[in-house]
Amino acid sequence: MSVRRAEKARSAVPEPPQPGRVLDARLHLLDRQVLDVDGVPVCTLDDLELDDVAAEPATRAAGGGTAVGDGPVVIRALLSGPVLGTRMFGGRPPGSRWHRLPWRDVTDIGTAVRLGVPGARLDVTWLERWARNHVVGRIPGGRARPGKG
Amino acid sequence: MIASDLLDVRVLDAGGTPVGWVVDLRFVLDGPPDGRLAGARLHGLVVSPRTRSSFLGYERSRVRHPWPIAPLVRRRHRGTFLAHWEDVARVPDRDDGTDPEREPVVVLQVGYTRYTAGL
Amino acid sequence: MSRRLLVVALGVLTAIGGFVDAGDLVTNAVVGSRFGLSLVWVVAVGVVGICVFAHMSGKVAAVSGRATFEIIRERLGPTAAGLNLLASLAVTVLTLVAEVGGIALALQLASSVDHRLWVPVAALALWLVLWRVKFSVMENAAGLLGLALVGFAVAVFLLGPDWAELGAQVAQRSAATETGATYWYFAVALFGAAMTPYEVFFFSSGGVEEGWGTKDLATSRLNVLVGFPLGGLLSVAIAASAAVVLLPAGIAVDSMAQLTLPVAQAGGTLLVAVVIVGLVAATSGAAIETTLSTGYTLAQYLGWSWGKFRRPAEAPRFHLAMIVALVVAVGVLMTNVDPIAVTEYSVVFSAVALPLTYVPILVVANDPEYMGEHVNGRVMNFLGTVYLVILVVAAVAAIPLMIVTEAGG
Repeated sequence: MSVRRAEKARSAVPEPPQPGRVLDARLHLLDRQVLDVDGVPVCTLDDLELDDVAAEPATRAAGGGTAVGDGPVVIRALLSGPVLGTRMFGGRPPGSRWHRLPWRDVTDIGTAVRLGVPGARLDVTWLERWARNHVVGRIPGGRARPGKG
Repeated sequence: MIASDLLDVRVLDAGGTPVGWVVDLRFVLDGPPDGRLAGARLHGLVVSPRTRSSFLGYERSRVRHPWPIAPLVRRRHRGTFLAHWEDVARVPDRDDGTDPEREPVVVLQVGYTRYTAGL
Repeated sequence: MSRRLLVVALGVLTAIGGFVDAGDLVTNAVVGSRFGLSLVWVVAVGVVGICVFAHMSGKVAAVSGRATFEIIRERLGPTAAGLNLLASLAVTVLTLVAEVGGIALALQLASSVDHRLWVPVAALALWLVLWRVKFSVMENAAGLLGLALVGFAVAVFLLGPDWAELGAQVAQRSAATETGATYWYFAVALFGAAMTPYEVFFFSSGGVEEGWGTKDLATSRLNVLVGFPLGGLLSVAIAASAAVVLLPAGIAVDSMAQLTLPVAQAGGTLLVAVVIVGLVAATSGAAIETTLSTGYTLAQYLGWSWGKFRRPAEAPRFHLAMIVALVVAVGVLMTNVDPIAVTEYSVVFSAVALPLTYVPILVVANDPEYMGEHVNGRVMNFLGTVYLVILVVAAVAAIPLMIVTEAGG
């Protein structure tokens, strides 16, 4: 144990304090419930879209893979939908099938991720709207509050 | 690039020696304000030398209970370090995962620094 | 007003769905008629276990607003949580099949119309309740009427058994006519019934339905401490009535109708009527609990809007999931399978679902980011860890025991 401690002490430099809140993707973001401005569940956060701030074209590295540019990379959007399947089984869905929630709409990150916009008109809730308009909303009482009317 | 392009990917040093797997991505909210929050800048990759099976970051938090789950998970992630994004030379190409011949890898810069990964 | 009075209805209904649903009603009578009271200790162990984890799940829901399957998804990630989702749905839907079948059988007894004709009627009635009735009305009615099962305890007293003999049975660790493997098979089955995962899904989601916050922690604790011991008591009363009447007579229980034999002998038609009300209410309550749990788990795993506190149109996929669950249950029953026998196979799925449900609850109950100052104390962590070990042992032992004993033979 003491040898390992020494080894660790040799190899890891203490991380300097950061100027902003520190978030780890898996620990704080992925798989959390996303709520809209009224606290209504929108989706689960399935993946994150990352992008170079400068949006410079990525260059293909000599040994394969993509060379990392100099500019910082930021979270562009939260993703949900078919990306869940690829997180479980591998592969990558085409970009057109991602449901994006832009980072600028996020207002708070706690035990749930809160958005500052209503969920009703977001792309990601289209299935919810379909189920409401074509099935549940058409059954008598579907739009009434339980126990009333 | 999406987060799962990087998560669980093998990490090599500049000489091609495996040093572990990416178990998490660390962000710092210090970018230019974007909406209500500051921009979330990708600060670095959390690399575990032993295992891909992260317990989703539990081991890096301040939580020390319950015994014995917490100590066991921490033990399994001994030697986990943070590599700053500036120390990353190469990330997987977008179709690396689809080609069975080529395992997607992250390659670190020559002389990269290992920072402690605890929160 | 009714919420003030019936503040523990959620705990009572949750426990009824866990301890005395259609499958467990029969299991308890079988156990009583074959093993006397020698398995009462398992019920006691199970009551403490479910109290520990239901308390944690209720506390997490009250403090953080997150129901149990949201936490499972968040802590385990999509793959392990998805595995848990499949196993939990299997347990929940198998139980739902047994409940709908049980209600149909009860209606057949009352009407002499074939139970297969009653199955769609029972499912439709359940759906109407879930579609239109308020959560609090639902839990109060089912919970309160389910208490009529206390008739079993009354029957035991009216029968005037030899209490010393019953006490001796409690201390026994086997029955002369049974093998050790069947004894332990039923021990594992009773323990699994007590700790069945949909109880915490329902309890924590019910807490969110009732709008619990940090100020309601005492309510949550009261629900746990009243509900589950009561459920355990009802389950022991059923076993005891069978142990007093059926065990000496050498009658082995194999259907729901035989449950009422000891009650009829003790209290005549009136007590039988009371107990039948209890049986129908408990079975309906368990059906409501399992159908809602199907919707809760799916919605929470996938991030859909859910809850009875919303209009159906505000949680459409949640309601659609419950409709599908009921249709599946009707479809399974139409194949003419024995609905009670079906629940025996849920043991296999419980073996997967139990650890994957209770580990994340225990971990999150220790996480100050979720719980603030309300993180678990040492005693809860000690009990939680001990029960995780018991759960894993029981889960591993369940499948070989089921094969060796042919599900209790």
